[in-house]
Amino acid sequence: MRLSARSNRALLVIRAAIAGMALLCALLYATPASAASLAISVQLADGKPLADAVVTVQPVGRKLPAPTPISAAMDQMNRMFVPEVLVVPVGSAVSFPNSDSVSHQIYSFSPARRFQLPLYRGKPYPPVVFDHTGIIILGCNIHDWMIAYIDVTDAPFYGTTDAQGAWSAQLPAGHYRITVWHPRMREQTSTLVRELAIGSGDRATLTLQLTKPLRPAPMEGESY
Amino acid sequence: MRAATTLLFLIASALLGATVARGADWELDLDLRAVSSDAATSVLDGGYGPTRFSERQSGLQLGRLRLALNVPLGEVWKLHLDASAWDHSYRNPMGLTEAYLQFRPYPRNHLRLRVKAGGFYAPVSLENGAGGWTSPYTLSYSALSSWLAEEVRTVGLEAKVDWLGTRSDLPFDISAIGGVFGWNEVAGAALAGGGFILDDRQTPLFDRVGRFESDGARIEPFREIDGRAGYYGGLALEAPGRFVLTALRYDNRANPAAVDALEHVIAWHTTFNSVAARLEYGAGWTVIAQWLSGQTAIAPRGSDLDWPFDARYLLLSKRVGSRQRLSVRYDRFRVESRNVEPDGEQSGHGWTVAYMFNPGKSWSLTLEGLRVTSNSYIWGEEQSHPGPVTDTQVQLAVRYALGSAGY
Repeated sequence: MRLSARSNRALLVIRAAIAGMALLCALLYATPASAASLAISVQLADGKPLADAVVTVQPVGRKLPAPTPISAAMDQMNRMFVPEVLVVPVGSAVSFPNSDSVSHQIYSFSPARRFQLPLYRGKPYPPVVFDHTGIIILGCNIHDWMIAYIDVTDAPFYGTTDAQGAWSAQLPAGHYRITVWHPRMREQTSTLVRELAIGSGDRATLTLQLTKPLRPAPMEGESY
Repeated sequence: MRAATTLLFLIASALLGATVARGADWELDLDLRAVSSDAATSVLDGGYGPTRFSERQSGLQLGRLRLALNVPLGEVWKLHLDASAWDHSYRNPMGLTEAYLQFRPYPRNHLRLRVKAGGFYAPVSLENGAGGWTSPYTLSYSALSSWLAEEVRTVGLEAKVDWLGTRSDLPFDISAIGGVFGWNEVAGAALAGGGFILDDRQTPLFDRVGRFESDGARIEPFREIDGRAGYYGGLALEAPGRFVLTALRYDNRANPAAVDALEHVIAWHTTFNSVAARLEYGAGWTVIAQWLSGQTAIAPRGSDLDWPFDARYLLLSKRVGSRQRLSVRYDRFRVESRNVEPDGEQSGHGWTVAYMFNPGKSWSLTLEGLRVTSNSYIWGEEQSHPGPVTDTQVQLAVRYALGSAGY
């Protein structure tokens, strides 16, 4: 059937109307009336900000969609892992590029993911996929002082604090369990867990302060 | 032994070509010195001086020429060869100071194993942590490290097991280390004959060292005379790059009654204990304290033919930015001669101050002043010093390093 020019115009108007409604729905969905925000600040015992602390936020009493796996990188620069701490959703793929001129030999014997990357320079291996939640401790079999951590999480909201010790997220109103973790903190992890009910439109803030100083960061040094 | 050394050197040269071709790790260092000294000829060169360079050697000198290779053999084995040239005092222009095979399996369940076989340093010194067993703090080694460089080396097997507490909730790793060795049964002879000095030469494996004997021969520390293996064992607590605490017992188990009749060489029974600590603070500070005490004997205990000795040092170092380092070390040392007719003792102390500057990746400059005050029983034979003598040595070292060290 051939449509007239007038019919074509009508069809275009209908399509535009449908597209407009879809856009409106998407906008409404993206910023639902029940949306809220959460801002977390993590401080050291002396009140200074703690950067690179892992924050995970789990809903309590209900389920939210699992976070989408991502691609991330754990670099090796000047015989150190960069970053020291990485948090990724379960199922994510992490590559281990070696930016040094010397060879590295990366391993993990953590139950959540055991693997070994034989001596290499550059980026010869495909990324390692992390299918189970947990903390993976990384080491280098050549440079014994090198150590880093990957936190594999199923929390729908996650991240690490910035240089100001801050992390924030937009999330639906509800009841949440917030966990803060750093590999060199001396506190029990359970002492840095908080539960919070966040109401619709709330701008919730939470400040957590460690009570003990961090353990010292690893430094380059020939092993005894 | 000369044939063995030459053979090892030829193997090292052949491996260099293969290593470079394979793109494995190697390092070539050239260290030149401008020296000003008022000391007597060094003990290592047949004199009585406690420093490396004498007054006659003031001027330009070769500090060290070093070639090191790390050849991976499969995934968890590697071959390490370290060859150096210092001066004409050794048999070959270049000699191997260390040559060993290392087994480095991946750690499992918080346990890490390291096994070495060949010729290498026992893990005693906490200051000689840089490549080629150099000190990252000063040019001259402490008195106790200088002695180890002079005549103590493991020719044998060493195993180290680390329990990786830092991979769980402990702030440190715990290590147990043990070695068995042979071919070091004349260790102690140079110390008894010349006392402690502050030097940075390392006797190549199976080479000779020290004061000239009356017949012109020099001491050959790397000899096996009685066929009995020696051992060492120790423990360490370590937070990598933060602190290390170590304790080690060494005994070469040489039978002091044993004699190599053909070559007229006797065995020296040498034992010592060492305790040491190295602490590092975040602002670039390093403190090392080490104490080593033992004795060497050429007759069974109680026969009054032994030389008890002890040496200790305290080192303080500060890294300034990423390119500069300032270090100060205080040494004390003593060797007592308990012969049938006691000769007295060699004793003294030394101050070392060093400033290091690394203008680039390949270059480094070090200015070091060393002042040693000592007296010695051996002086009585040919010199008539009334008391302690102070020797001063100032060196400016210019070092250029090439290669991809690190593996």
